[in-house]
Amino acid sequence: MAVTLEVAEVGKDFLIPVIDSVSFGVEAGEFVCLLGPNGCGKTTLLRIVGGLEPPTRGRVLLGGEPVSGSGRHTKKVGVVFQEDRLLPWMTLRENVELVLEPLGLGAEARRQAADRHLRLAGLAGFEAYHPARVSGGMRQRAAIARALAIEPDLLLMDEPFGALDAQNRRIMQQEVRRIWRETGRTILFVTHAIDEAVAIGTTLIMLSARPARIREMVRNDGHLERGRLIDDLNTMIMEEVERQQGVVGPA
Amino acid sequence: MSARHWATRLHLPTLGVAAVIVAGWVLLSWRYGAYVLPSPLAVARGFAEIVASGEIWRHTVASLGRILVGFGGAVVVALLAGLAAFLSRTARGVIHDFLSVLNSTSVFVWIVISIIWFGLSNWAPIFTTFMITLPVVASNIVEGVANVDRRLLEMGDVYRLSGRQKFTAIVVPSTLPYLVVGMKVGFGLALKVSVVAEIFGVTSGIGYVMNYSREILATQMVFVWALVMILVMTATDRLVFDAVSRRLDRWR
Repeated sequence: MAVTLEVAEVGKDFLIPVIDSVSFGVEAGEFVCLLGPNGCGKTTLLRIVGGLEPPTRGRVLLGGEPVSGSGRHTKKVGVVFQEDRLLPWMTLRENVELVLEPLGLGAEARRQAADRHLRLAGLAGFEAYHPARVSGGMRQRAAIARALAIEPDLLLMDEPFGALDAQNRRIMQQEVRRIWRETGRTILFVTHAIDEAVAIGTTLIMLSARPARIREMVRNDGHLERGRLIDDLNTMIMEEVERQQGVVGPA
Repeated sequence: MSARHWATRLHLPTLGVAAVIVAGWVLLSWRYGAYVLPSPLAVARGFAEIVASGEIWRHTVASLGRILVGFGGAVVVALLAGLAAFLSRTARGVIHDFLSVLNSTSVFVWIVISIIWFGLSNWAPIFTTFMITLPVVASNIVEGVANVDRRLLEMGDVYRLSGRQKFTAIVVPSTLPYLVVGMKVGFGLALKVSVVAEIFGVTSGIGYVMNYSREILATQMVFVWALVMILVMTATDRLVFDAVSRRLDRWR
């Protein structure tokens, strides 16, 4: 059952307008990267899509159901935050098992699903470890395993590798790409790193400086030369950063 | 391991200072006599006496029993206050305000009021202990509830955990260290306060027997029972609270 995401003229004000108006659609199985300068409202947009914050304007539909407002939608959304947000007093396995409880699975089914997804995230053998005993990269893997374990219709990732060093970051990018290929999940991935977005996304959405609009939407299916694409996106993001800092007036 | 390390482990510097103090104590007790300052030997002999006669247990158990009821009741009410603080922000504010009022009330106020209300009975020290330890334990728990990581609760919302699941999986484990600290401080306070309250109207307990020893001019027994109090306090700290804290820290 293919579930699509539809973001329709979404805007958000926090005293000042943060997101002007953003519309886009995501097909089931797509890997969309949301790009933009720091502070442009990427995370806010992701939180609105995840139903963690209501939009000021517009609406978000997941499989045709609105994600915010009264009455919870029936679709499942997994979120990987910038921080791992694991419960430090639980083992990695217990952390994953916990989010399976609301789905009504029995203890044995929860355990099997938790171990399967920890293995998928490359954590076989670490199920009984507490978060403090493993590295930052492994904690983020566990957070990914937790998000995947609920078999989400949409997986949201908010700069999940921002706190990792360059080597771990590259490894985790490849891992996410592999997991996406193996599971076919629909992913919306927020990042400010262009090389990261080009390396893993099938569709790239570049947001403008605040208040955010869509500056550019690019299909990244190999028809564009990679080095050229990175250069173009870099030029764009530089322009937006400069505009955000007031170096040049609004276009 | 270095010699210095062992010296510290065995508290040798502390023991050295203690030896100097005991020597000074001996000199002063010679100078002022046994009524004002009994000698260390007299205190040691008195301690051996109450251990041999079993009197030590009668009064310690009586005091601990009252503490158990008064302090135990305070912990139960504090837990309910913590639950209310978790469920409602308004309740948290109200509880916070009441706790600061209770916190600034003197022990003596409760002792006098409890004698008026409960007369010369077990309930006077129990009530005093309850009123004095309640704000200490409760403010720790309420602070713990207020400091629960919002980001973890939001994670719970993302994965649609029920209120009960969030409470048991997130709020309780985050608050436990605060509860343990509150209970540790509260218990120490309970022992000190209940002993004072026992001066009035009861015929057992460490406070009663200390005051009685003073009246019959057995000053060495006052020192003996003070020693018993110190031992009880140190033992519960080491055997109960330190052990619980270590167990809570397992996952760190």
